[in-house]
Amino acid sequence: MSSWQAVLRKDLRIEFRTRYGVSAVIMFLLITVAVILYSTPGEQLQPSIISALLWITLFFGAMTGLARSFVSEEERGTSLMLRLYASGESVFIGKLVYNLGLMIALAISALLFFQFFFTRDFHIRDWPIFSLQLFLGAVGIAAVSTILSALISRASQKGALLPIVALPILMPLVIATTDAMRITLEVPSAWVGARGDILILISFDIAMVLVSYVLFDVIWKD
Amino acid sequence: MWCLGVALAIQVFVAFETPIGGSFDDAVTLAMNGVQDVTPVKATLLSADSSSAHFTDLYGQQGIVHETNKSNGKYQSYKSGDILVMSVAYNRNEKSFDLVEIIRVNPIMSFPMIQGLGELGRNMLFHVPMSMVAFIAFFLGTIYSILYLVKKDFDFDRRARAASAGGFLFTALATATGSIWARFSWGTFWNWDPRETSIFILLLIYGAYFMLRSLLEESEDKKARIAAVYNIIAFVSVPFLMFVVPRITQSLHPGGGGTEAPIINLSGQTHTDRTLLNMHWISVVLFLFVFLWIKDIYTRILRIQDKRAEEI
Repeated sequence: MSSWQAVLRKDLRIEFRTRYGVSAVIMFLLITVAVILYSTPGEQLQPSIISALLWITLFFGAMTGLARSFVSEEERGTSLMLRLYASGESVFIGKLVYNLGLMIALAISALLFFQFFFTRDFHIRDWPIFSLQLFLGAVGIAAVSTILSALISRASQKGALLPIVALPILMPLVIATTDAMRITLEVPSAWVGARGDILILISFDIAMVLVSYVLFDVIWKD
Repeated sequence: MWCLGVALAIQVFVAFETPIGGSFDDAVTLAMNGVQDVTPVKATLLSADSSSAHFTDLYGQQGIVHETNKSNGKYQSYKSGDILVMSVAYNRNEKSFDLVEIIRVNPIMSFPMIQGLGELGRNMLFHVPMSMVAFIAFFLGTIYSILYLVKKDFDFDRRARAASAGGFLFTALATATGSIWARFSWGTFWNWDPRETSIFILLLIYGAYFMLRSLLEESEDKKARIAAVYNIIAFVSVPFLMFVVPRITQSLHPGGGGTEAPIINLSGQTHTDRTLLNMHWISVVLFLFVFLWIKDIYTRILRIQDKRAEEI
């Protein structure tokens, strides 16, 4: 078993024991959807509005769940141990895969909530492109929040800081995914309209994963 | 340094003093579309008699301009071959032009009339170079951050900080000039146009960079390392914000949605008048030197501050 899988298994085991990440994220989703439903009774939500709402929910949901990955290590005082036992890159890959899994679970549950609560307005007309942009968005958010969580775990105001530093950096991604999702809600064959957005997402993801992979060692080792 | 000041002052003077003159076609189009009745035109005098004159503009189109009671100039005093920049009103009935005012005779250079912009086109010499310099500044800041991580020399961190601060300043200046431009071109100071949104996010990114630095409770060395990493990650999304997203989405700015823009566009060709483009590049170079000067001063301030902190 390679060491990144060990890091991943460790994180999964802690998650199954405490269920902190999943329950925080589910609570967040429920509250957000309830607020949206409460404030728009009987409103016809346009695709542009509903795709923006879904991505805002996903982004801040990710910030509540994914911010924990390194902050909790720092709080429990286990980061020193992790530094001794695993190399920087295996810690990064393990955390990235764990965050990606959490992000995909978050995206799927948000999708189910939206499908269930916004039955009338939330019609996905192009499933392949919709899943593709959701997956690419999840990869980008996971990569950025993994590296930034490692950065933030050193600052004094840990909790509040991650959304503030992550949102501006993720903004090109959020703009592109929102636009792509709007198109998949509007037309059945979305590839023509969403091609530019998908290309932006792919290049952004590749750039972010590579840059954070290279830079992780710099923050991780003391 | 005073050379730079003088050059910048001359550049600003030229930007405001150079007359703007279009073609007879511009005058006809703008009058027929009801945009404006009086349009500045640049044309060469062919022949003049007591009350009217025959002109040919830069594109070889000929036009007859009549003097009226209201106009303040007389053609009699000019000889044929003189280049006149004058504001004319299109006379629909006679398909000729009425002279309103002679602005300049034989100007050293003139800017073309950009339809829909007119006099506002001068801002192209401030707004566009400032945003270009801002991008170069952020790029330079990232290079310094990488150098810091490679060489562990604390001076590169100060330079990275100074370059990013300079970039922040020039982004703010580009936002301010753009906002004034937007007020007179589109009606409001701020429209949440894609490019305006992305420059706003750019300000947020570098605001977060300075904030992150002040919130870190670590040794100076570790602080510098974390800030350098953030700076490099932040720069990954800068090209997306400045070049990619505004170009593929519908925008009020030229170049949005894949349309042709005067300076940079998808086909990589410029359709801007040579004079204006050359002046624009001179502006870019001058503002770049202003940025390097500011960066240098700020680096020295940071060096002194650090030295002071060590002594205490």
